[in-house]
This record gives sequence, structure tokens and C-alpha cells, in this order.
Amino acid sequence: MAQHILNAVALGSVYLVFALGMALAWSTIGILNFAHGATFMFSAFTAHVVTQHVALPMPAVVLVAVAAGALIATLTQVLAFGPIMRRATDHRSAELRILIGGIGVAAIPLAIAERVTASAPFGFRGSTYQAQVFEIAGLRMTTTVLVIVVAGIGIGVGVWRWLATSRQGLALRAIGVDSETASLMGVDRSTLALGTMATAGALAGLAGALLTFQLGAIAPASGDQLLIKAFAIVVLGGLGSMGGVIVGAFVLAGAETFVLAMNQGTWVDAVSFGLIFAVLLLRPQGLFGRKEVRRT
Amino acid sequence: MIDWYFSHIVLIQSTLTTLLLALSVQVPLRAGVFSFAGVGCYGIGGYIAAIGMVHYGLSTATAILLAAVAGGVVAYALGLLIQRLTGLYLAMATVAFTLIISVLVVNGGDLTGGAAGLFGALGMLDTGHLLAVAAVVVAALTFTELGPLGRRVEAVREDPELASAMGINVARYRRATFAVSGVLGGLAGSMTVLLRSTVTPDDINFHLVVLALTIIIVGGSRSWIGALVGTVIFVWMPEMLAFVGEWEDVVYGVLVAAAAVYLPGGVTGAVVDGYRTYRRKRRETADSPPDAPPPQPAAAAVGGDS
Repeated sequence: MAQHILNAVALGSVYLVFALGMALAWSTIGILNFAHGATFMFSAFTAHVVTQHVALPMPAVVLVAVAAGALIATLTQVLAFGPIMRRATDHRSAELRILIGGIGVAAIPLAIAERVTASAPFGFRGSTYQAQVFEIAGLRMTTTVLVIVVAGIGIGVGVWRWLATSRQGLALRAIGVDSETASLMGVDRSTLALGTMATAGALAGLAGALLTFQLGAIAPASGDQLLIKAFAIVVLGGLGSMGGVIVGAFVLAGAETFVLAMNQGTWVDAVSFGLIFAVLLLRPQGLFGRKEVRRT
Repeated sequence: MIDWYFSHIVLIQSTLTTLLLALSVQVPLRAGVFSFAGVGCYGIGGYIAAIGMVHYGLSTATAILLAAVAGGVVAYALGLLIQRLTGLYLAMATVAFTLIISVLVVNGGDLTGGAAGLFGALGMLDTGHLLAVAAVVVAALTFTELGPLGRRVEAVREDPELASAMGINVARYRRATFAVSGVLGGLAGSMTVLLRSTVTPDDINFHLVVLALTIIIVGGSRSWIGALVGTVIFVWMPEMLAFVGEWEDVVYGVLVAAAAVYLPGGVTGAVVDGYRTYRRKRRETADSPPDAPPPQPAAAAVGGDS
């Protein structure tokens, strides 16, 4: 039982790091980045390619993935989302075109990775990192799980508090509420958008490296699944609430681990899909979302 | 010609079924409903047709009819359930619906064949049947794109508040698009499966949603012609250009992203806009002698738009 809880916490931490990036960009600058899953996958893939040539220790591998993620997200913003936001006439059409642009961008890294690996899972076998297994009170722990949980919860709480208390966090939330008024108050929207996208991409890269260390290998197609799970997490927590993302990530991980522990492995994916559906029907603003958040 | 037809028969047939799939997403989108329920109904239709043929020995026509009706009913019920949602939330709820279908059929036991799917559901279909179905569908959709009905659909998309102020029952139009997209999805799914004779849970995936959306965005979302143009591009391009076949998905990704940025109306929209600009320019140069009075578009608009 305790082992299952530990597994759920580790899984939830990875979900949290990934979903935080998506929620950050979506709730502040209004970009639901459908390439977030592909960014996650391709960062881990970049680190995989690097470790094939150079034997790197774990922190360096993570750093490569984080840098790759930030770079991909920045490029996506500069080449696709930025031009769309400048050209779109109204909010609704911009939203639709950003969604579609994200889907288009996501196809490119996925195709490249699938071609290079022939769709086979890839890992960090070239890294010098060896997971240490130890037992605490009868629980099997690895150093990987420890790193993941500490990083996940640390970053989760860090982003949450930063957004709530710092000046830049205030500026970002102001854009999320009313971007025109915010820019009249001296908020530089496009620079902040670029910074937010880079941060979100870095978080996706971190999640990619952590999950690959945890599982040993990930498949190129795993980005799409994670994207939908992250959407479920954000919807459950409530758009605009970072605390909600933290709760949502662990609830989803707990529910999935529970389904798995009941030996109903084929139903695991239905948890996130069902969650999206149920939350949108019963409580569209999510657990912690503000009532007045626009749903269009 | 005959040789060419027989060597490309698979492509021709998949053009027609893919067209129906694309239309099942385009119809709601044209009314401003961002729903992918049609793709879920593609899966439902495919499975119903396969189950009907394999387990109950239905005839081809009955299986397809049943699949279309089931798709329509399920999509309409879904529409009733989630009619409160709009925009991205509606899109994701319908994506979740589509993906739940694939989890359901994995766990369907003997009825759906589990993860391996169903085999041996070969229907008596030929290109003529497909063409006939596609022609009927396109004719019916043309009717909804022209005249008063077309203008009402456009109003529901562009400004729901205005539309409902003018006496259009917006909610009814939205629910209707769900039903139509379900029927089209059911048709597309059942005919695809009966041509291929197999269906597996992997056939209903996120990639299918992306494909349908891609076709419409690149082709154009305002008319069935756009869906046809997009379908032809994406079904035939890998065949026509060998180098594209190698980097197929990269080319698709670049095309979709470029279309989202530069061609919000798709290829068809760009052509129509270009033609209109050309016509206007020609008319301006033709009937603007130096002392002619300026044209009065306001008066013309009042007369023509009653």
C-alpha cells in the first residue's frame, strides 16, 4: 500500500512539472500549447542523442534537456504563436489558430524522433548515472524517485509562490485577466510571453528528463498522451490556479496508480479522459478556479 | 485511364472516405462548434459495422446504415450533454470522448475483439457506392452553405448573440451540427472498415483528430470544397512526391503551422480572397473615369441583403 502511494507521488511529481508549464502559459498569456508534449519528448530525445556521444552525469543530462525544452518553446513562440497573435483579429480566432499551429509544430519533432529511433523507446543509457536502491521503513526507494519528488514539489510550490508574490508574477497574472489594460499599465506583453514560453518549455524538458530517468526509456509518442493528461490536471485544478495544478497532478497520479493496482491496466487512460469529461460537465471552473473565468 | 484507375483504386477510395471524415469535423466548425465528436463516431461506426458483419451477419448496406444512425444518435446525445461548453473546452471534451471510445473497445471482450480488434468484415463496396454516398452528402451540405440557411449558419458562427437576437435558435443549430457530424463520422468509419475488412482500437487515436483538423485547416473551413481540396492534398501528396513520402509528417507539420499563421481561410479561402481582390481591382480600373461619381456600396448592400 505504502509502495503504491510512493509510486503515485513520484508519478504525480512528473505530471506536476509538466502540467505546470502548460498551465503557466495557458492561464497567463492565453496560449494552450499543443506542442508542449512534443517539447517534452524532444528535449528528452536531445539529451538521449547527446548521451550517446558523451557520457554525462545526471545533472548535466537534465540541464541539456531543460535547455533543449526552453529553446524549442522559444522557437515555437517566435515562429508560430507570436505571428498568430499579431495577425489575429479577435481572441476566439487567435485561440483556434494557436491550437492548430501547436498541433502543426508538434508533428515536426515527433516525426524527426520517430524517424531516427524507428519509433522505438529511447533512454539515457550513455549517462554515467546509476540509480541507488535503498530501503526506508520497508519502502523500496531509488535516488531517481527521491530527485523527482524533491524537484517536482519544490518547483511546484516555487512557481506557485512566485506567480502569487513576485512583481513579474503580478504582471503575468494581469495579462491573464485583461491583457489590454495590463499593457496600458506598462506590462511588456511580448517579452513576458517569450519568457513564459521559455520557462514552460524548460519545465517540459525537465519533466522529460526526469520521466526518462524514472522509466528507463520513453517512446516518441508518449508526448501526446501526457498532453491530454496535463489538460485533465489543469481542468481539474481550475485554470488560473497553480495550487489547483498541484492538487490535480497528485489526484490524477493517485487515481491512475489505484486503477493499475486493481489490475485494470487497460483502463488507465480512461481515467484522465473521464476526468476531463466529468469535471467539464459537473464543475467547469475546476476545483479551485474562479467562477468568473471566461469559458469561451 | 482504366489502368490508372485500378492502380490507384485504394487512394481513390480512401480519398472519398477521408473526405467524409473531414466533413464530420468541418460541419460543426462551420457553425462555430469546435467539436471532434465526428472522429469518435468514426470509431463507433467502424466498430458497429464490423460487429454487425462479423457477429450478426448483416448485409453491407444495413451495417453502414446502422453505423450512420448510431453515430448520429450518440453524437446528438453527447451534444445535449455538453452543450454548455464552448471553444477549447468543448474541443477537449470531444477529444476525450473520442479517446474514451478507443479505451472502451480495448475492454470490449469478444464483442469488439479487445486489443487485437475485429477481422473479416469485408463489405460489398465499390468506388461507385462511395461516390454515390459522397455525392449525396456533398449535395446536402451545399444546400446548407447557400441561401438563407447558409446565412443563418454563418450568423451562428460569427456572432451567436446577434443570431439569437434575430430569432435563430442557436442551441438547436449547434445540436443539429452534432447529429450531422455523428452521421458523417459513422458513414466514414463504417465504409473505411468494410473496405479494409479489419478494425483495431489503434485506428481511433489522437492522430486521426489531427488529420481531420489538418485537412480542413489547410484546405479551408468554410465550404465542402475546402475539405475536398485538403483531402486530395493529404491523401495524394505522399504518392505524388517521393521525397515527401520520406519526410511526410515533417511536411504536414510545417504545412499546418504555416496555414495557421498565414492562411486562416486555408487554400480555398486564399484563392477566393485573391479572386475577389482581382475582380475588385479590375472593376475599379474599368469603371472609374475621372469624373464618375463614387460608387455607393451602402445602398447596394441594403437592396441585396434582405
